[in-house]
Amino acid sequence: MITRRSFQERQLVSAARRLLFPQFSLAPVPPSSEFPAALQFYSPLSCSPSATETLSSIGSRVRSNYQYTLMRFWSSGNALEDPFCGGLIDVPLAQTGEGIAECELLKWYVKEGDQVEEFQPLCEVQSDKATIEITSRYKGKVIQILHAPSDIVKVGETLLKMTVKGFQLEQDVHDGLESINSPSSVTSKSRNCGILSTPAVRNLAREYAIDIANVHGTGKDGRVLKEDVLKYALEKGILERPPLDVAGMQHHNLEGLNNQQSETAKPEYQLNDETIPLRGYKRAMVKSMSMAATVPHFYYVDEMNCDALVKFKTAFQQSNSDPNVKHTFLPLLIKSLSMALSKYPMMNSCFNEKSMEVILKGSHNIGIAMATPNGLVVPTIKNVQSLSILEITKELMRLQKSALDNKLTPDDISGGTITLSNIGAIGGKSGSPLLNLPEVSIIAIGRIQKATQISEDGNAYAVSIMTVNIGADHRVLDGATVATFCNQWKQYIEKPELLMLHMK
Amino acid sequence: MATLFETRKLGLPLMNLIRLEGLPILKQLHLEEELFRTSKDNWCIINDGTDDPTIVMGISGKPAELLDIQPVLHDEIPVIRRFTGGGTVIVDPGTIFATFICNKEAVPGLQPYPRPIMSWSSLIYEQVFQGIGNFRLCENDYAFGDRKFGGNAQSITKRRWIHHTSFLWDYDARNMSYLRLPKRAPEYRMARDHMEFICRLKDYLPRSTFINKTVEALGTHFSLESVVYEADKDPSAIKFMPTTRQLTREELEEALSATDLENCSAQFASL
Repeated sequence: MITRRSFQERQLVSAARRLLFPQFSLAPVPPSSEFPAALQFYSPLSCSPSATETLSSIGSRVRSNYQYTLMRFWSSGNALEDPFCGGLIDVPLAQTGEGIAECELLKWYVKEGDQVEEFQPLCEVQSDKATIEITSRYKGKVIQILHAPSDIVKVGETLLKMTVKGFQLEQDVHDGLESINSPSSVTSKSRNCGILSTPAVRNLAREYAIDIANVHGTGKDGRVLKEDVLKYALEKGILERPPLDVAGMQHHNLEGLNNQQSETAKPEYQLNDETIPLRGYKRAMVKSMSMAATVPHFYYVDEMNCDALVKFKTAFQQSNSDPNVKHTFLPLLIKSLSMALSKYPMMNSCFNEKSMEVILKGSHNIGIAMATPNGLVVPTIKNVQSLSILEITKELMRLQKSALDNKLTPDDISGGTITLSNIGAIGGKSGSPLLNLPEVSIIAIGRIQKATQISEDGNAYAVSIMTVNIGADHRVLDGATVATFCNQWKQYIEKPELLMLHMK
Repeated sequence: MATLFETRKLGLPLMNLIRLEGLPILKQLHLEEELFRTSKDNWCIINDGTDDPTIVMGISGKPAELLDIQPVLHDEIPVIRRFTGGGTVIVDPGTIFATFICNKEAVPGLQPYPRPIMSWSSLIYEQVFQGIGNFRLCENDYAFGDRKFGGNAQSITKRRWIHHTSFLWDYDARNMSYLRLPKRAPEYRMARDHMEFICRLKDYLPRSTFINKTVEALGTHFSLESVVYEADKDPSAIKFMPTTRQLTREELEEALSATDLENCSAQFASL
C-alpha cells in the first residue's frame, strides 16, 4: 500500500515537472543529484553552448540549465496556470530552440477524441527554418484542440488538452464537479471539454466567474470568442452597461462619476494586449530610423506658392491622351527639384563619416517615400536629371503600383541620393522627417492648401500654398546652403517657365 | 598512423553518401523526403547543380506573398513547395545542394532542435572554408562576413532530422526578379538590397574543391559509404508518397486572381 501510494505521488510530481518541458521525444539527460534518480527528465535546454543565447522575451526566461528553468516555472507557475483544470492537462508548445518565440501550426496528426500513445506525433509546427514534429509526452486521450493549421502559436501557449490515465487528481476533480458552488471553483474547475477557446478567452471567463461551457461560441467551429463572453456577461448582468441616464449622473461629484464610469467602463473597454512582430519594411525602418536619429539634423521651413503648379497640372491633364497616365503635381516637383540640385549639388550628396568625405552624387536618384500596407518604403526614380516630366510621371506610377503590389525590386529601393516625403498626400501642413542615410537631405512636403495673402495694395487674395520642410545633416550642410537651395527650388515651382529656360 | 585513422573511423557512425550532378530539384527533394521518412540510415546528398531554373518555397510558402506570379506564369517557371521549413529560393545550374539526414543519436550530444543542428552544420563548413573568406553562420545563413552564400532549411521528427542547404555557387540576378521581397528578413541584412546582401561562392574557391572538401569534412564525423542513386524507378514500384510537389498552373493562377481582388489601401505619394 505504502509503496503504491508513494509511486503515485512520484508519478504526479514527475508528471507535473514534465509538464514544464517540451513534448519532444528526447534522450533523457542525466538526472541531477538534486532530484530523485527515478524521475526521468526530458529537457531540450541542456544542449549546446549556443542554447544559452536568447533572442526573444520568452526565450530570455528559459536558460540552458534545466534545473534553473524547473525552479523558475515551479515558483511562478505562470506558464502552467492551473494545469489540472477540469481534470485535463494543458499540453503547451514547448521551447523549440533559443530565440524562437512562436511557431506556425502546420497540421495535426490527431483529432479530438483520439487515444494517443506516449511519444506519438501530435502535430507539426514550423519555426523559422524548421518544421518540427511535436510528440506526446503522455499516453492519454485528446479532449480539446485549441489551434487550427496556419495559426501562430506562442511558445508556452497551450496546444491541446488531454486526459492522462493514472492521475489521482483527475479523478478527484471529476468527482467534485457535481458539488461545485463557489465562483472560484466554477472558474477553475469548469468543464471545458469540447469547448473551443483560447487561453485568453478562458481567463476572461474566469474573471467574470463564467462557466465557459455555458457561453455560445460564434467563432469558427463554434469557438468561444472574447465577444461571446462579454455578451454573455452583459446578458447575465455580470457586466453592467454604461449608464444611459446622464441627468442621473449629475448628482454625483466628479470623482464619484469618474469612479463609476471607470468601474462601469473598464470591463467593456478592457482590451488584451497584442504583440506585433516587426518584419520586412517595418523592421528595416527600426534600423534606419535609429541610425538616422544619431545624426544632427536641422530643419528649414518655407512656403511655396503653387498657383502656377496647379495651372501646369491642369494643362497636362487636359492635353493628356493616354488613359494610362495620370498627371499629378509630384513629377513637376521632382523635376524642379532636380534642376535645383544641379545648382546645389551638395544637397544631393552622401556623407562618409569614417573617411570624412562628402560624395557629390552625379545622378539625381530621387527617393519617394511611400506608405504601403507592408510599411514605409522609399523607391527611387533614377537619373531624374535625364528624364522628362512625362517619363518621371510614368516611372512614378510604375513604382507606386509595384509598392502597392509588394513587387518592388532591390534595384527599385536602392541607390537614392535625396528623398522626398509627400506627407501632404495623407494630410498635414508639414513634417520633420528623418534623413534616409547616407543621404544628407530629405524634404517633406505638406498638402497644398488655399490660403489668404495680402497684396501690396492691401487686397486679400487666395493662393495655393504648400509648406516644405527640409531636413538636413548639419555635419555637412549649413543653413545658408539649404536656404539658397530652397529659394532656387521655390523659384522653379512658382515660375515653372524657368524650367524651360534651364532645361537641357 | 594509418591504422589509428582507420581505427578512429571505425568508431564513427555510418553515413551513406550520394553524389549527384544536375538532378532536377523536384527529384532531389523527393529522394530526400523518402530517405528522411522511411530510411533508418544516415545520409548525405550532394547535388552539383540542378537543371532549369525552379522556384522552391518552404512548406508554408504562399505564392501570392512570395512570388511575382505573372512573370512566373508567363515564363513557365516551375514552383515547388518542399517539405521543410524556411524561405523561398530560385535554383538553377549555379546552385549546389548539400543535405544531411541523420538519426537523432547520430551526432553524440547533439540535441535535435533547429539551433543546435544549425550550429553543428556550421562546424562542418568551418572545416571546408578554413582559411577561405570569413565564413560564419549568420542567424540561419552561411555567410562570408555579412554576405550570404548559403541558405538552410530543416525538418525534425521524433527520431530523425534533415538539414539541407542551397549554396549560391553562381546566380543570375535576373532570376531574382521572380521573387518578392520577403516580409521576414534576417537582422544582419540591415536593410541592404539583395545584391549587396548575397555573394557568389565561386569567387572563393573552385567548384570541385568545395564539394570535395565538404565530403572530406563530413568524413571526419562519419564513416562515409558511397551509394549510387538510380533515378529511373518503375513508377508502379514506388510506394512512398512525398508531400513535396510542384504547384499546378491552376493553383498559381488562382493565387494571382486572389491577389488582384484584394482591396488597395496603399497611400500613394501623389497629389
